[in-house]
Amino acid sequence: MSAGDTTGLDPALSRRSFLQSMGGLVVAFNLLGRATAAVAAEQSPATPTAGNLDAWLAVHPDNTATLFTGKIETGTGVQTALAQFAAEELDFPFERLDVVMGTTSLTVDQGPTYGSMTVRYAGPQIRQAAAAGRQALLDLGSRHFDVPVGELVAAQGTISVAGSPSRVITYGKLVDGKRINVEIGASGKGFDLMVAPQARAKDPATYRVVGRSLPRKDIPGKVTAQFTYVQDVRVEGMLHGRVVRPYGVGATLQSVDAKGLQDIPGFVRLVRRENFLGVVAETEWAAIQAAARLGSNLNPAGPQAGQAKWSDWNGLPKMGDLWETVRKSVAHDYPVANQGSTASAFAKASRTLKATYQTPFQMHGSIGPSCAIADVRGSGAIFWSGTQMPHDIRGDMAKLLGIPLDNVEVRWAEGAGAYGRNGLEQVVADAAIMSQAMRRPVRVQWMRWDEHGWEPKGPPLVQDLRGALDHQGRVVAWQHHVWLPTFEDTHLIAAALIGSPDISGTTGVGEPAIAYAYDFENADVAFHGEGRVGLMTSWLRSPAQFETTFAMESFIDELAAAARQDPLEFRLAHLKDPRAIAVLKAAAEAYGWDRQAASGRAVNDGKPARGRGIAWVNRDDTRVATIADVTVDPHTGRIQVGRVVVAHDCGLVINPDGLKNQIEGNVIQSLSRTLHEEVTFDTAHVTSRDWVGYPILRFEEIPDRIDIVLVNNKPDQPSTGGGEPSTCPTAAAISNAVFDAVGVRLRQTPFRPERVKVAMI
Amino acid sequence: MSQTTLNVNGVDRVVDAQPDSALLYALRNDLELRGPKFGCGLGQCGACTVLMDGTAIRSCVTPVSAVGRARIVTLERLGTPEHPHPLQAAFIAEQAAQCGYCINGMIMQAASLLKHNPRPGREDIKKALNDNLCRCGTHMRIVRAIERAAGSLHE
Repeated sequence: MSAGDTTGLDPALSRRSFLQSMGGLVVAFNLLGRATAAVAAEQSPATPTAGNLDAWLAVHPDNTATLFTGKIETGTGVQTALAQFAAEELDFPFERLDVVMGTTSLTVDQGPTYGSMTVRYAGPQIRQAAAAGRQALLDLGSRHFDVPVGELVAAQGTISVAGSPSRVITYGKLVDGKRINVEIGASGKGFDLMVAPQARAKDPATYRVVGRSLPRKDIPGKVTAQFTYVQDVRVEGMLHGRVVRPYGVGATLQSVDAKGLQDIPGFVRLVRRENFLGVVAETEWAAIQAAARLGSNLNPAGPQAGQAKWSDWNGLPKMGDLWETVRKSVAHDYPVANQGSTASAFAKASRTLKATYQTPFQMHGSIGPSCAIADVRGSGAIFWSGTQMPHDIRGDMAKLLGIPLDNVEVRWAEGAGAYGRNGLEQVVADAAIMSQAMRRPVRVQWMRWDEHGWEPKGPPLVQDLRGALDHQGRVVAWQHHVWLPTFEDTHLIAAALIGSPDISGTTGVGEPAIAYAYDFENADVAFHGEGRVGLMTSWLRSPAQFETTFAMESFIDELAAAARQDPLEFRLAHLKDPRAIAVLKAAAEAYGWDRQAASGRAVNDGKPARGRGIAWVNRDDTRVATIADVTVDPHTGRIQVGRVVVAHDCGLVINPDGLKNQIEGNVIQSLSRTLHEEVTFDTAHVTSRDWVGYPILRFEEIPDRIDIVLVNNKPDQPSTGGGEPSTCPTAAAISNAVFDAVGVRLRQTPFRPERVKVAMI
Repeated sequence: MSQTTLNVNGVDRVVDAQPDSALLYALRNDLELRGPKFGCGLGQCGACTVLMDGTAIRSCVTPVSAVGRARIVTLERLGTPEHPHPLQAAFIAEQAAQCGYCINGMIMQAASLLKHNPRPGREDIKKALNDNLCRCGTHMRIVRAIERAAGSLHE
């Protein structure tokens, strides 16, 4: 049973009624491969109560078990990691434990799945719930065998009497047919939810499941086509929908010429509300054809070129003015660090350096365009979604449709990797509006150009850095000012199009995403934030910290080079954080770093030149140091990465191979963002609308090796995040390696060949 | 609508599809297969890859009318979790997936490669997969998995 099978729950089956009929810990869901006919109930099943054991765990008569979690899987392997927490504390065979994720009627709201916070926050919640479950089973065992709990042994899904190996019973048999209504207690909510505070969890030194590289539960189904992605969900009676977005981001719909649409076999009708335009058809192909005629194409010729006529809107900034626009738009200032007196330190310094770093809009670029199914009937609605925040989207949809929250259910199924808030949330609203109009289930999948064009983007940043060295080459002053739009815009595009832009969602103002990392006498670090600037933005893997790390770790390298010092040594000389020092040293040792200043010599023989670069980050308490080798070809401007070494400290690692998979993925994705990725746009809309316009890293460009060292992976260390921190150091490590190789500083991503060649002139 | 017979995974199947419609939708919607995925509809990413007479093609830009009597094979045909194809077994052994949405294309492209070149070197593998996009960054493991599968074919 894979996570995707949660969509196959019989819709007639409410969790509560099922639990009542089967008893607390005993649940045997009827899991079908595919969703059956959905009839939106006027009163959908409520979200379970966190303080009840059966909100978290079910043990079935065949001695299998299910963990229920409000967290979701997005390819990072947290489903497996959370199962390890539960199997460990429950003393249950990992292989016999399935995980149901996200579906709002089946799982507790543990907060959205983002920010590398799942293992860190949801892990302990599940650990406590499972510890309480083990306690409940021992209590049952005590009554069954009529011996005190202290004389029982729980192991591998069985309870036995110590010293009497024949007196043994499986968990499944033990709870068979009984109603166990165990209150385990809970307080707080989301990330701060505290579950079963009285339950005694195991001593981490005794862990046997946590800490092992167990194979991921989802991979066999994914490589054999037996897995159900949200894109695979089919609901009886459903129609296929496609959106037709405005030509310009803020354009208004003037008219729609429906001529010829009825001739498309399978076409059903248009759905139009204010500026929201969609098409609905019996077949996916018909929906695509109809949308194309209205103007949904890779390269639409103009606002009036399709049968949908849009106003000529040109409200985006000119691309060449992007960073100046960001700089000028700012309304909010946040000090991050302010110590000593930078002004007087700069005045007295023997040498000062300054530099500006610029990074563009980037996109999540999911390989599978966003998809959702909505079944809206009267005042009830069911959604099938791959969202990272099913419980939040449930509330958003209630607001959008104007129906009671209690009548809304979100059934979660995994989508393609999202890496942040992409279109998966947005498309639910598109489907909602179309299904509401049709009074039938409607499946909407975005086309590639919808995804590239309309997914919320990672924001552009412009950063000014200034540093001062004394005559011994020590940093005596450091100034780092960052200008950026928000990366937390949770408004729904469809809501804006129907004329209710603020019905749900908020727009942040560019909050700090930086840890003041070094120990400088005088420092002035500040953010200057704004809301939306140009394109809609949302969090993209390591939001804004990928970019701030690029600037700080490149600029510290500039200072090291100016001081003619080894870049590793220079960093260590300005650091006190022992965990930062440990990862830098571990990476250097694994790499075989000999301490010497970066060469920084210009290439004048025309031959490819090699260099090495180092960078590190503290992202939400996880420390990562990265060293990269590059070869720069001065003729082509092409940067090829050779070896990459990553030292990673996120405390106790739940699944080392799973974490390594994530680190490798972070390295390659961030390398892609460093070398290739930039959203292009004109004053009307995004123009990088496919993989040609927005290229990402390909196989022939991958590093030769990625060597990973796990640091501080000890049972007594709390686990911090692993899903994204190793994204952060890459751009700086590459930039610094390019300087070492050919003597130029690349201060603007992406480092495309033409930009590298220009820099080398 | 018009009826067309397609040979898919060894069986003749009648589908009701416009001749100019993309094969991908016939496979996914008419035949309810889940291996081939919609990724771009432009032949750029490889998520929709299937084998046509043993060679990898992009089903999202292949019209149903172009298939004729060619034999189409999808990921479903290769194996099951209980009896995986050597490529599938290798992807499991190397844990070569994250979100896994691209993996259909990776495996089908690799199947095509191994059919034409049973002993590919690392550079051959990278070249063969260069037009298959993976966003999670699972490339290192995918290459290792294909190397492993190629090796297992000669054991």
